[in-house]
Amino acid sequence: MTTSNLMSEGLNLMLVGMGFVFVFLTLLVFATSLMSKIITRYEKDVGTLPEEGIPAPTAVISQAMSSRQHANDDKNLITVLSAAIHKFRSRHK
Amino acid sequence: MDKLIHLWEVTGINQMTPGQGVMILIGMLLLYLAIKKNFEPLLLVPIGFGGVLANIPGAGLAEAGGILHIFYTVGIESGAFPLIIFMGVGAMTDFGPLLANPKTLFLGAAAQFGIFATLMGAVVLSYLGVFDFSLADAAAIGIIGGADGPTSIYVASKLAPELLGAIAVASYSYMALVPLIQPPIMRALTSESERKIKMVQQRHVSQREKIVFPLLLLILVAFLLPDAAPLLGMFCFGNLMKECAVVDRLSNTTQNSLINTVTIFLGLAVGSKLSADSFLDMATLGILVLGMVAFAIGTASGVIMAKILNKLVKAPINPLIGSAGVSAVPMAARVSNKLGLESDPHNFLLMHAMGPNVAGVIGSAVAAGILINYAGV
Repeated sequence: MTTSNLMSEGLNLMLVGMGFVFVFLTLLVFATSLMSKIITRYEKDVGTLPEEGIPAPTAVISQAMSSRQHANDDKNLITVLSAAIHKFRSRHK
Repeated sequence: MDKLIHLWEVTGINQMTPGQGVMILIGMLLLYLAIKKNFEPLLLVPIGFGGVLANIPGAGLAEAGGILHIFYTVGIESGAFPLIIFMGVGAMTDFGPLLANPKTLFLGAAAQFGIFATLMGAVVLSYLGVFDFSLADAAAIGIIGGADGPTSIYVASKLAPELLGAIAVASYSYMALVPLIQPPIMRALTSESERKIKMVQQRHVSQREKIVFPLLLLILVAFLLPDAAPLLGMFCFGNLMKECAVVDRLSNTTQNSLINTVTIFLGLAVGSKLSADSFLDMATLGILVLGMVAFAIGTASGVIMAKILNKLVKAPINPLIGSAGVSAVPMAARVSNKLGLESDPHNFLLMHAMGPNVAGVIGSAVAAGILINYAGV
């Protein structure tokens, strides 16, 4: 590559490069603004996502229910058992 | 007696060339700057130590088969390490401030002028016969102005591997010098009343926007500039992992253990390029000077763009945030904040400056794609 050729190549790259960076980021500005507008409008109807991520609703609900059932079962079981023990002890004195 | 002579012949003292001695001292200087002066220690400690290791006479750590050479071939020649780091950077980036005010992307674009102006400078110096840089070399030197370590290393490894050591050292040491280089330029270009401009409170950005943005960016890159796809693709992937919040384990690994592991090897591999024959050269001096110019021009053009933007749009824009367009996250944004506080102790610009700051990362990755496309073979 001759030196004058290098100069024109460099100038070329500078203009093309700077131009492209601006075109790309301008497009990104428009795309981003549009995206934000659409999502803001959508979220007015649907509601926002929680900050800590999307919860898995079905799994959480079933787990909560089953644990409550468990607690109830345990209570019944304990009442029955303690009654039985009480009876056993009173009989074998 | 023969054995003793042989032992003497293999000692470092006997084999040391003056160049190696100087390079070991330079490696020690980098370690000093990192440890004592706190210059980007995360990178300059491995780079400096790698530089010392690479110049141990007779050990051949940086020659074919040596461990540093293996790190270099595996990680840098292949382009893998800078890309993995970029993924980690993506996972650490919050696009919230950018999404709240997308116009700050223009500031990130303007600051990239430093890259191209420096490229032109390198070409002119070659034309005048001061240095002998090819177009690819000039492009790799210019990217220092992007103020983005992994991007600089990636571009240099593609375009000018023989200059990589000098470019990486210049790039990381100037990033550490951002708080010294930028303020005088920013003060010179703005008036006291401009520095006092208060910006409006940023709006809240929803989670959905943050999840969609990396995908949007990826699609734009895929359509317009596939050459930037390796860098921005990894960046978007890292960011999506963070924002989608369903793969926290992956996101945490990427922004902590993975990026740290890779940084160690990246630093050592860059250090292996600090060998006397390629570093002790006039070209290195030229790269250091041109890199500084690149930083200064990038800062200036960012500030000027912010002044123009302030005239054009309704919401006021403090010109000080323009300088943050030269990536160097989050150092450049902190500098903007500091200068704003100097003029008005109640004017906090940090969150506003983070917008152009992350825009600068996108801007320099786009510029890198163009340089590789144009100047690459």
